[in-house]
Amino acid sequence: MRDRASASGWRGVALIAVVYVYFLIFAQFAFLTRLAELGVDGNALKMVMAAMAAGGILFSLLTPRLRVVPEPARRLRVGLAICAVAALLTLLPLGIAAGACVAFLIGAGLGITTVTLVTHLRQWTGDRRGIVYVGLGTGIAYLICNVPPVFTAAPEEQAILAATLCLIAMLLPLGSEPHAPEEYTAGTRMSFPIALVSFAALIWLDSAAFFIIQHTPALKSGTWLGSVHLWTNGALHFLAALASAALVQSGRARVALALAFAALGFACVLLQHPALILSASLFYPVGVSFYSVALVAYPSFLTRADSPEDRGRQAGWIYAIAGWMGSALGIGMGQNLGHVPLGFVVVAGCVVLAPVIVTIVRGSARETAVIAGAGAVAFVLYALMPQQASETLSPVERGRQIYISEGCISCHSQYVRPNSPDVAMWGPTESMEELHAQKPPLIGNRRQGPDLSQVGLRRSALWLKAHLMNPAEVSYGSPMPSYAFLFADGRGNDLVAYLSSLHGPGEQLQREREEAWSPTSAALASANADEGRRLYQRHCATCHDAQGATRLRWLGYWRIVPQTLPELRGYAAQQTLGRIAVISRFGVFGTDMPGHEYLNDQQIASVALFLKLAPMQDVSQTSTH
Amino acid sequence: MDESVRTAEAGRSAGVTAAVQHALGWLVFGNALGVMIAIPLLLPRLNPWLGEWTYGRWMMVHMNTALFGWCSLPMLALLFKAYGADRGSLAPWCRPVVWLWSAALVVGSYSWLQGHSSGKLFLDWSGYARFFFPLALLALWILLAIAFVRNRKRGAGERIKFLARLTGLLSLLPVPIAIFAASSPNSYPAIDPATGGPTGASQLESTLGVVLILLAVPFGVARPLKGVRRTASICCAVFFAECALTALLGSGDVSHRIPAQYLSLASVLVWVPLVRAYYARFEWTPATRRWRTAFLAWWAGLVITGWIMFLPGVLDRVKFTDALVGHSLLAVAGFLSAYVIFILVQVLGEEDAWILNRTWSFYAWNLGVLAYVVVIMVAGWVEGADPAFTIVPGTARNVLYVIRLLTGISMLAGSVEWLLASLALKTKRSVSRELELPGVKVA
Repeated sequence: MRDRASASGWRGVALIAVVYVYFLIFAQFAFLTRLAELGVDGNALKMVMAAMAAGGILFSLLTPRLRVVPEPARRLRVGLAICAVAALLTLLPLGIAAGACVAFLIGAGLGITTVTLVTHLRQWTGDRRGIVYVGLGTGIAYLICNVPPVFTAAPEEQAILAATLCLIAMLLPLGSEPHAPEEYTAGTRMSFPIALVSFAALIWLDSAAFFIIQHTPALKSGTWLGSVHLWTNGALHFLAALASAALVQSGRARVALALAFAALGFACVLLQHPALILSASLFYPVGVSFYSVALVAYPSFLTRADSPEDRGRQAGWIYAIAGWMGSALGIGMGQNLGHVPLGFVVVAGCVVLAPVIVTIVRGSARETAVIAGAGAVAFVLYALMPQQASETLSPVERGRQIYISEGCISCHSQYVRPNSPDVAMWGPTESMEELHAQKPPLIGNRRQGPDLSQVGLRRSALWLKAHLMNPAEVSYGSPMPSYAFLFADGRGNDLVAYLSSLHGPGEQLQREREEAWSPTSAALASANADEGRRLYQRHCATCHDAQGATRLRWLGYWRIVPQTLPELRGYAAQQTLGRIAVISRFGVFGTDMPGHEYLNDQQIASVALFLKLAPMQDVSQTSTH
Repeated sequence: MDESVRTAEAGRSAGVTAAVQHALGWLVFGNALGVMIAIPLLLPRLNPWLGEWTYGRWMMVHMNTALFGWCSLPMLALLFKAYGADRGSLAPWCRPVVWLWSAALVVGSYSWLQGHSSGKLFLDWSGYARFFFPLALLALWILLAIAFVRNRKRGAGERIKFLARLTGLLSLLPVPIAIFAASSPNSYPAIDPATGGPTGASQLESTLGVVLILLAVPFGVARPLKGVRRTASICCAVFFAECALTALLGSGDVSHRIPAQYLSLASVLVWVPLVRAYYARFEWTPATRRWRTAFLAWWAGLVITGWIMFLPGVLDRVKFTDALVGHSLLAVAGFLSAYVIFILVQVLGEEDAWILNRTWSFYAWNLGVLAYVVVIMVAGWVEGADPAFTIVPGTARNVLYVIRLLTGISMLAGSVEWLLASLALKTKRSVSRELELPGVKVA
């Protein structure tokens, strides 16, 4: 008879959590770091890892066949004890041979523990909510591993933690009576071969992505470094594990695996683009947790097994082939290629999604036929349409296409309304003929940022590039995203060429207008040097402060290096307030100094007053942004 | 039950149900995107999370899926009913057409995210997607045409209905080509040289297009009441008079400051009472009452504010500001959404109307839209006098944007409830079909 503890399932949750923590934080992580500390690398490292894989494969396959320790609880304790001892042995100064022996021990311990655990898991979780407990145990394990003090601990500390958890698990009251299996009825069962290849494909993807992230500093810093990242990863793992358990429990194991592939495959594709590392870091943990739950739940609850031995044999094959071999192949891919090829993601997708796709196609034959037919017709029509190769376009034309592609029109207009305040702010008006000559006119309907129809008159190419690379650094408070990724290839320079080309023939007239402008007398009267200092800090210091972020970043590129504040004050002392206001508002033509057209007269007058009148001790109070 | 009746009813149910579910799916998707891209406007540091799929690319997806997904798919349900395509042997082909439409939107969304765009707002179809979407429109038209021919042979329509359907069919035929052509970068409508926006004549023309749809739709889904002929005659007279006025105004680049433009546009105000009177001349299921009231209220608000915002002085201040964003939201989330839900409730009938008629989601949506419009118009009015209000965001702008974000979440919550409820449609319908008696059709 099962006791109350078994019915509550907490022992199952604890056992799954301990084994996963051991595997994730120690076998897959701390042990490798420890080997690196001991100077085991290159071919020696490969040999050591091969020993671990050999131990894992051998004992995954042997465990259901061995009669030495027939009682499940005792066999599980033996496996946990081997794991604990192996972890503690890594604290010693191991050489290559000793390292290989310990690695073999780790693999053997894991092989015995995992196969025994899933074969008899119902004994410790009960049948009714067993899969939910699997999700809970898996989620808790991933969460623990991502707790910053655990994740960032020294490998020796992680080894001690893993060993301690194994020893605690050995002390759990695991019972000794065999559990009478109940038929699990929820949902459609997956056939064993389909499950095997699906898990193999997913683990291959996971291991490759894991290896690449771990060995690429830029990727690692974008995904695993910092408390925020780690807590986010932990939370995503935990939630995805619970979601996966809910799906599997309700008979949608195939959907869970399909979602795991979608998330993992997407993460692998995103990892190839440096700008998308953050997004990849969201998908990767979701994909991993989705399949990790199924990896335990499938052999425990979803296989067709006539006896515990039969269940154990199936679990053994899954962990030997999908687990250990899939993992080794993934690591090999990461080592040799440094990325997951798109073709492999597609093949893996075909393997994992095939059952789901076949089901959908069978149930929606008409829909599939209509979409495929229309898709083919559209493809033919598209292929017949003459296309202009981008190589035949000028940089300005290509830049215009990028402006359209990036949806710049959503935030920037290109239309200066005649006889309106627009002219003073954004430059001369275009004629209707000029406008209609554009294909299409990019007038837009919104100004989250400045109008750009005459931006070539108002901004230098360097300023445009600096702004596109890091908008908030150059323009205080700008909500515009960085377009630094465009400069990884030629697109950024094309966009700068296009923006620089945006100006009409009214340049001379515009310069005269600017020179004739002055703040209103009311604005001059209400100018405030304190406000001017605040505005200077926000809008000017990034270039004019000796340590200004923009100034330093583009130090070798300025046409004229921006003056520092003391130099500015020296210049301002010789100028009228009106002249300083004109420069503050419209910039200096022929240099990289931009205007601040959107500030009102009173603000401009305040900046001018600050530069002209403020005491020298204010210099120390300025800061960069 | 007779097998043919069972098949026919199952097909009708599947096609209309699919249109409703897909429409609501796109509504939730579009709303979720709206909320997502509103957040980096407040917290620009989150922009890197979007990677290369930046705000500008998502905006294309957000706007186009709202228009071509949420606002268009309910019209498929309406057309299936109006042309009888959801009955008989054609019924099983309704669902594939809906799926094709959604597939075109998926292709379009991916293409916009990949940076393929025509550069024309709400007509961003470009490259492969520019061919795919018109094919979905064409597939719909072929289905309707076959249904029209089949029902004509059976003598199922009266003469007026026959002519109305024929006119509708002929009007829909050029739409796929029109969408393809309008997406071309080489065509562009007349420009108001004073603002860079549409002219008064263009606005009048597009309003009349909407009015034409408003006048045609009831004939497809509701029974006319006594007096409809007289009201319809008045509406037709006004409609054709305004068409003549539009023709007189011409299609040149004309300023909104010309009195002929804003005075002519004032003629649309007459549609506020006329549409109300016209819809009162049809028999609607009682379940539509709430959404009919909402759509008429939003229609009045849209037309009146639309004209006011076109006036000299007002347009000069609000052009390119958030105020026009507010007006666009009033049009799409206020008027159009209320209208398509009203139509969906009518198409679904009393039995299934509950999915769109829950009190809290009704208020979550409508009050959310109202609050959004008010907040964003206030922001736009301030911005009109001080561009730095938006370009250099400060506390006041951020507070308004936070409120806007909350209203967006409110709308999203309402739409999620409708979508989840709509997922029960299939089950409910299959249960009700089993209870049918031979020869008795489920409404």
